[in-house]
Amino acid sequence: MTKIDYVNVSKKYGQEIALRDFSLNVASGELVSILGPSGCGKTTALRILAGFIAPTSGQVLVDGKDVTPIPAEKRGFGMVFQSYSLFPNMTTSQNIEFALKLRKVDSSARVVKIRELLELTNMAEHADKFPHQLSGGQQQRVALARALATEPPILLLDEPLSALDAKVRDQLRDEIRGLQKRLGITTVFVTHDQQEAMAISDRVAVMQSGVVVQSGSPQDLYRNPKNAFVASFVGTTNRLPAIKNGLHWTILGNAVEGPVDGTRGIAYVRPEDIELVSGGQGVIEQASFLGSFVRVTAKVDGQRIVADLPISRAESLSQGLGVSVVIADRNPLIELES
Amino acid sequence: MLGTFARRGFWILLIMYFVLPMLAMARFALQTVPTFMLNSHTLFKGWGFSEFMVAFKDPGVIKSTVLSLELTALTIALTFLMLVPLTTLIEIKAPRLKPVMTGATVLSWLVPPVALVVGVAGTFREVFPGFLSSALNLTYFYALWMLPFTYRALDGQLRLIGARNLYEAAQSVGCTPITFFFKIILPNIKSSLYISASLIVASVLGEFTFASLLLKQTMPVYMWHFQTSETRAGFALALVVMIATALILGLAVARLRKRGINFSATGI
Repeated sequence: MTKIDYVNVSKKYGQEIALRDFSLNVASGELVSILGPSGCGKTTALRILAGFIAPTSGQVLVDGKDVTPIPAEKRGFGMVFQSYSLFPNMTTSQNIEFALKLRKVDSSARVVKIRELLELTNMAEHADKFPHQLSGGQQQRVALARALATEPPILLLDEPLSALDAKVRDQLRDEIRGLQKRLGITTVFVTHDQQEAMAISDRVAVMQSGVVVQSGSPQDLYRNPKNAFVASFVGTTNRLPAIKNGLHWTILGNAVEGPVDGTRGIAYVRPEDIELVSGGQGVIEQASFLGSFVRVTAKVDGQRIVADLPISRAESLSQGLGVSVVIADRNPLIELES
Repeated sequence: MLGTFARRGFWILLIMYFVLPMLAMARFALQTVPTFMLNSHTLFKGWGFSEFMVAFKDPGVIKSTVLSLELTALTIALTFLMLVPLTTLIEIKAPRLKPVMTGATVLSWLVPPVALVVGVAGTFREVFPGFLSSALNLTYFYALWMLPFTYRALDGQLRLIGARNLYEAAQSVGCTPITFFFKIILPNIKSSLYISASLIVASVLGEFTFASLLLKQTMPVYMWHFQTSETRAGFALALVVMIATALILGLAVARLRKRGINFSATGI
């Protein structure tokens, strides 16, 4: 079992700072996702851990040992890439075997291991196919098998699902999570897809401009975002004006808890924390059926509001109906206006 | 409609610029009927291969052919030894140098062969007089001269296979750079090596200017002299060289197509 510690890691490209005092701990057997928009430094952080690039300063510790001076080929971490990166001249079996040969595993043990990995990734029937004969999802399964071949202490996943279509993506995401749990392998998963990160991770680290702005369980990030960026990036949110009224804050007529200081701010309220009640100054603009709930858009006091309502409650709400807003979250994030 | 028109146009151009001159050359070299007597009755008379025998019995032809073949083999070897590791290294480790490399490879075509030969010959005569005494040293000129084509073929193929990503994937499974080069890169760029070699064969076997200016008796230079004394045999020989070259290139393209690779995909 292996744990990872990024200690104040920075990376500069000329004047451009890709990572700024980046610190993150990954516990043994944990799956941590690094989530953020393009250019936030998440891939840089992963590539530093993989050994493909050297940090400008700071350390990466694996089980307390600094691995930054160790070249990538000697670190022994498994890695899966967005572009699959299977060796085109080798079949599925040969791709897996190549990793084992490099570790000098003897031939009988190689045969057993290859069969085991092919079954683990449901690729046994494609053992003799070349990468160009496989679909994207199948190629990524082979890449996963190859990465796991040498029983690495750490598995690194660099947006492995981004190039796949939605259905395959969901299926493979669940398979990766299942495998990771079964093998108990410490895993770092990089993605820009918040839904993916929330679904697969024990913990999510949200990055912005080269730093981790918040890390925690998916539920924690969703329910208690630390700032506007996290609130907006993780899930859907409503940005609503909030005004201090005595001891309380008021959002569209609803009294909520908020910061002690300040008089005006912006509140971030999740769509499922909003209820729309018939009668009022607001007007329903649109209602979209999304399977298990209905997403209703209404305009209230000049603000466009998105509310996710159960189907039974949304049935009575039609376009053009007057509504008022009830905010269920008594303690939403409020950022003070400067 | 446009496709049919384009196809017909292609065949007309091919016949006009390739087949007809070849037929005219073949008639001149291999048919003994004088031109003024040519008509529908004599079209299939007087054909023979005696001029080939004249050409192939000439010791100079054999000697110059061997020299050209040696130069071809050496040029291929030098190009591959020099260019394959360098292009791979640039693709993987220093992609920012690619525009520089692209520019540098076309320099040999920006300088006219006369200027290149005179410049290089003048310099070497002063610094290293023995350099130009061996005809095999033409290899350096040819390798340089072929760079725009060989570099593009290799560069295109390395990009096509995603060499940079493959290198990282190989590193992640514990592969050293040397193993990566031999086990992953070389097997996956075979088609571009093949097309580069074919282009070198076609070009070096027909190269005249460098060899002539440096007074080396390669096959094209000897053929030119040979044609002045044995005109028809000289043309017979030229015909063989042209057909052989076309066949080599045709085989290269066919081989690539068989592997599902477009000729343009190799970067040429």
